[in-house]
Amino acid sequence: MAYEPRIIAYLCTWCSYTGADTAGIARLKSPANIRDIRVPCSGRVSPELVMRTFDQGADGVLILGCHIGECHYESGNHRAAKRLPILRALMTYAGLEPERLRLDWVSASEGERFSRVATEFVDKVRALGPVKWRVPSDEIPALTQQFAAICGDVPLAEYDCAAKTDTIRAKAKELLTSGAVGYVVGYEVGPRGRTRPSFANTPEEADKLVWNPDCTYNLTTYLGKKRRPAIKGIEQPKPVAVVVKPCDSRAINVLLTENQFPREQVYIIGVTCEGTRHDHGALQVRCQTCNDRVPIVYDTLIGEPPSAVPDHPTPVALKIAELEKETPAGRMEFWLSQFDRCIRCYACRQACPMCNCPVCLYERDDSLWIGMGVNMNEKRAFHLGRAYHLAGRCVGCNECERACPMNIPISLLNMKMAQEIEAAFGHRAGMTPVPSPVVTVLAGEYKEG
Amino acid sequence: MNLITQAQLAEWLDGLAHQRTLIAPHDVAGVLLYRPVESSQGIAWGFARPVMSVKEAFFPPTEQLLTIQKSDGGIELSETFQEGEQVIFGVRPCDARGVKILDALFLDKEPVDPYYARRRANTALIGLACKAMGPTCFCTSVGGAPDEASDMDVMLYEVEGGYAIEAVTEKGKTLLQTMEHGQQTVEKPFVKRQSSIPNPQSIAWPAHFNSEYWPRMSERCLSCRACTYVCPTCRCFIIRDEVLPFTPGKPAAGAFERIRCWDSCEGENYRRIAGGHRQRAEKSERLRNRFFCKFYYYPEQYGLGQPSACTGCGRCVDICPVNVDITEVLTDLAG
Repeated sequence: MAYEPRIIAYLCTWCSYTGADTAGIARLKSPANIRDIRVPCSGRVSPELVMRTFDQGADGVLILGCHIGECHYESGNHRAAKRLPILRALMTYAGLEPERLRLDWVSASEGERFSRVATEFVDKVRALGPVKWRVPSDEIPALTQQFAAICGDVPLAEYDCAAKTDTIRAKAKELLTSGAVGYVVGYEVGPRGRTRPSFANTPEEADKLVWNPDCTYNLTTYLGKKRRPAIKGIEQPKPVAVVVKPCDSRAINVLLTENQFPREQVYIIGVTCEGTRHDHGALQVRCQTCNDRVPIVYDTLIGEPPSAVPDHPTPVALKIAELEKETPAGRMEFWLSQFDRCIRCYACRQACPMCNCPVCLYERDDSLWIGMGVNMNEKRAFHLGRAYHLAGRCVGCNECERACPMNIPISLLNMKMAQEIEAAFGHRAGMTPVPSPVVTVLAGEYKEG
Repeated sequence: MNLITQAQLAEWLDGLAHQRTLIAPHDVAGVLLYRPVESSQGIAWGFARPVMSVKEAFFPPTEQLLTIQKSDGGIELSETFQEGEQVIFGVRPCDARGVKILDALFLDKEPVDPYYARRRANTALIGLACKAMGPTCFCTSVGGAPDEASDMDVMLYEVEGGYAIEAVTEKGKTLLQTMEHGQQTVEKPFVKRQSSIPNPQSIAWPAHFNSEYWPRMSERCLSCRACTYVCPTCRCFIIRDEVLPFTPGKPAAGAFERIRCWDSCEGENYRRIAGGHRQRAEKSERLRNRFFCKFYYYPEQYGLGQPSACTGCGRCVDICPVNVDITEVLTDLAG
């Protein structure tokens, strides 16, 4: 028997589902491969649902909604129009053939259009052959593709940290003495000589705070409710002071727009940044691509902005471009070989200030979106899902990649999403207190194509 | 002790790899992991300590316990057991000690875990003594030693011109029968002990349970699970039935699997019960549990003949993204 693809179609009940009916009444030919799922609106079709559909073995996913401007809920299809192209870019980047995912508009009266769109889509998917997205457990290929570390060895020029350390200590002391803040989140040097996050609760403790090139941690992750330290019986109604670098300050902007905390609850000690170091002493990858030297938002600024911003190569962008030139199968192999190492320890998610859901979608007790197994399909669903959830929100602090015990190049996913969002919406996360365009439904942002 | 050359060792391992699965330290895109290798060529020689322990070989991150198939009027259950023998090369003494500690739970007390028992019986450990203790190692503080051979089947020591080799168990002697080596003998080398970390037995653990120390030391903890997953002795697991995905050519519905996965006391939803209650809602309680489990609960409950359920491998110290340090806890509490 010739190969026939299995296609899942999500049809908006108000227009496309009726459109399919119209096609049937008019006796227009529609392919039998399509399994229709009736949804209240194309905006209901969340990207997680589409990813899940492919994870379960669909050869193609077709999403049909009302034409822009005709949504029964006014702006539901705006969501679909904004999200699905981003999702398509992500899945293509991870190795899916882009033709397998299509979003289109069919109104209730357009029976002929439904028939044409469906036939076209099925023909295209049939030509591609069976989908290879789901990895069967007995066929995990020997994934050994080596990935040269993208750190490169750009040395970090020495710079004076003593003055900044002194100013941070003085400021922290002042805030704690006056009682303006409950505690100050900064950096300290631990007994092994490793710099690490530190919490100063009293003016005396402010003396342990430091500033040095190893201050890589994004401390804004401790501002969210989830990871904010709580000492039983001690209420912390007071604002919290936090030491931020330019990238971290962008995270504050994102958190503020998402109402994670009121602005007056956080006192921001901004520090100008010359770049931070990796464990082995070279400049962090994220700092190689970063030109922000002064925090975007702060209450106090410490340090002078450096006069010249050094021009570094951008290894992450180069690697993304290189991956984009690969075939879908090549990209898939690359990503599977990376995800293969993942142990689902969630260090990436926990280090991320933006990952602040009370319960992660991918860690639910009911295995709704992915199973709990540490297998290839689950690992990929987690990483791609996380990348999508960070689209337009990720500030590129790259703490996830640093925290990963398995050196998975997560920045290649997050940077790709940032590029897509910037190209489609001109949005850079956290530069202004504006929410991610994929979570808003503002009219006039829709771009054809 | 007999002396063997690097070439003889490689040849022996190649021979073993033909008969069974050879697991050895392997460089996976810059990360050192115990992985099945085709031959001794896949071994990352000169390794120090892989990121993950050998725990994976006995107690994998995910394993299928059984499959459930609905058929006409009935349910068919079939257990999934690991088949085939395996041999792990390059086991460090701390990891072998870790396996002994896992045995206390899975083997030594009823009920015996059949999945673990099967893997344990099918696996031989070829140890390699450490040449020196690493910067984060503290095995000597918790009753181990960098050249401890007692938990291995075969033990190797790096010496001038090759390796000193000895069989420790009967299983090890059988493995060594296929080895060709000369008559030259060599002394077991001395490995320098160094550790300034206090012995956990010197600490009165129950007295510290309600200490203000825990909330303060856990402030920077991110509640990720890296420390427990890299640990050679963390053994919490969770079991769940999941629907098997549709495969063309098989019945469309009614196939399930029961899987067992690693769990971690550091995870926010660890042991959540009906109604959403969490016994250890604060990260200070979770982190405290990890240290109490290692140094107090587990040795107490399982009567380990050793001071702790920590082997001093130092992996959690290296891996923690925010430098939570088990040795610092020991130092602080002993001080």
